[in-house]
Amino acid sequence: MRGNRTTLTSVVLRYVSERAGDLLDVNGVELELTRFRLLGTGFFRDVQLSLQRGSRRGNVILIVDVVERNTLVIDQIWLGLASDVDPSGFARPLSAYGGAQATETNLAGTGIALGGAFAVAENQLGLRVRLLDPQTFRSNWITEAELLYNDARAFFGDSDVLVDQPTTATAGSSAQGAPDFAVAQYKRFGGRVSIGHDLGISSQVFFDYRLEKIDALLPPAASDDCGADVCPIDFMLLPGSSILSTLGATFTYDTRDDPFLPTRGQQVVASVAASLTPFGSDYPYTKVVARGSQWFPLSWGHVLHLEAFAGVVSGDAPLFERFYVGDLSDLLPDRALDLTFDRRAAPNFLSTDIVENLYGNYAAEVDLEYRVPLYRGRRSIYGIDVFGSFGLYGLANDADFTQHPRGYSGLATVPVDITFNAGLRIDTQAGGFVLGVANLVGFIPVHGQNQGAVR
Amino acid sequence: MVLWGAAMALAARSALAQQQPTNPAALSPRQANYAWDRDLLRASFSYRDVLTDPGLTNKLSNGLRMVIAMRAYVYREGQDSPVALAVRSCEVAYDLWEEVYRVHVDDPEGKRDQAVLDVKGVLRLCAEAQNLPVVRRGLLTAGVEYFLGVVVEINPVSQEMLEQMRRWMSRPAGSTGIAPTNALFGSFVQLFVRQVAASDGTLTFRTQAIVP
Repeated sequence: MRGNRTTLTSVVLRYVSERAGDLLDVNGVELELTRFRLLGTGFFRDVQLSLQRGSRRGNVILIVDVVERNTLVIDQIWLGLASDVDPSGFARPLSAYGGAQATETNLAGTGIALGGAFAVAENQLGLRVRLLDPQTFRSNWITEAELLYNDARAFFGDSDVLVDQPTTATAGSSAQGAPDFAVAQYKRFGGRVSIGHDLGISSQVFFDYRLEKIDALLPPAASDDCGADVCPIDFMLLPGSSILSTLGATFTYDTRDDPFLPTRGQQVVASVAASLTPFGSDYPYTKVVARGSQWFPLSWGHVLHLEAFAGVVSGDAPLFERFYVGDLSDLLPDRALDLTFDRRAAPNFLSTDIVENLYGNYAAEVDLEYRVPLYRGRRSIYGIDVFGSFGLYGLANDADFTQHPRGYSGLATVPVDITFNAGLRIDTQAGGFVLGVANLVGFIPVHGQNQGAVR
Repeated sequence: MVLWGAAMALAARSALAQQQPTNPAALSPRQANYAWDRDLLRASFSYRDVLTDPGLTNKLSNGLRMVIAMRAYVYREGQDSPVALAVRSCEVAYDLWEEVYRVHVDDPEGKRDQAVLDVKGVLRLCAEAQNLPVVRRGLLTAGVEYFLGVVVEINPVSQEMLEQMRRWMSRPAGSTGIAPTNALFGSFVQLFVRQVAASDGTLTFRTQAIVP
């Protein structure tokens, strides 16, 4: 081994399949695979293999020369605008949110990855620390541990909400009148341990256990218009302290040819999580999610991407485990580290009762994206594509199947809406960026966007 | 002759799966010598400069196999689709104990093994095309200009292997996040996935035109 100043030799040797005494085939592909395996760790900028004479005729020494690279990587950056609610429950037209996540992929040369992430918004903070060992005890098992902390808020209702706010939150409301929204404040602290294994070159399975303590400060009572009625607001959290404990499994199948601007291949991710109520979890629920994507290269050089998503939550899951409209619509900010930044309901282009559902137990989406490559390079910018996407999504609760809100009839009782986006996907040395217009377009009011409107 | 034409067409089709020059007419020009051997066009040209990088030259002596693959596409002037293809590959491995370069050449005239003492000998065998059979006259239109678009690659990686490796690298261990916000380790692979280049070195050029 030569050139590994930081990375431990034992770590490098894990990826070298040849051992002392082995018969070496200089024309075989195994040596080529060894080089690719080492490059694939992400620890090295260059890897070269060579042979030197050994101690006896016919014997050789395999030399591995590596050039190490910077392994501290910015994974993701979030920046955006949202419409949220102040602590007293009054609407604010615009607020900013942001965050980032970074990973040291080769911690002290051990091959272990240490990642951290934060997300902030007004009166909200999310933190994550994650440790990953891709070859636990030199086996092919991957282990992962994560610590999480969230000081979060969730917004419910709309301008005509009736809420009995906790004492701390009502100080300003008496002077300013009734609040517009009910605000649930909660803190989460806990962790997750996972273990995973490759099932083949394109698939992987992970099992995880999660344990969290949740402290929630909820309005003692709140109600809001739902169609032609007034309904109590379900905050989907237990007041005071509660425990969440789950077991989960995730399967991934990935044949994409590129992680950010794929032109062909498939990606399937399916997960199931079940709350361990008999072992102390206060939230009895099961969650099943599946997402599938297919990329099609078109003969004229463009790319078509079809994606489908479906998920079901059965039982009383905490609200951050429910499906959220912002994660389905491009016109609203996604959640980041499980923080909800926006109070708005679905844009409701189709004038349905989806406007009543910020969160749901059932979600499904179909998206179609068309991409046109504008630029390809090999230095700091690898590729720029212009894209346009269109999708249809649905978000429902049990009541939408049994007793839909009064005031809606016909197709308006099917809680679906459309979503769209257009912009640029830019793949750079620093990571991938998406510049889309949907976040700004989302601030243009659409009829029916207010919750509780009667159709 | 029928067999020869079929072989050429088959070779052209299989090579189409590999990377062809996208704009062959715009490649840097290089002189070639043409000769007609009855109705067979032969070409001689050098591509020794594919190994001017000292790193690659040193690699010749590292004891591992190095492949120098040359593809000469025959283009009609003004068109981007080749009408024929000639392929020549050369595998070199330095024998650490005998201190000779063992060379295996594979071209349209057959396969042969030779041993040479130094890098000059390797370049002579592996970086020059001497009277390379290129195309039968019958596949060309009389009075029209044709030229060769040449791609030389050092240690080319097969398209299948390349895609397999890129897939493997694009899915790092632990990227299990189902939501974009949860993919903590999901994107760093972009930084190195490009290192899976199609070869260790590539040289492209075009030759002057010839009119059959």
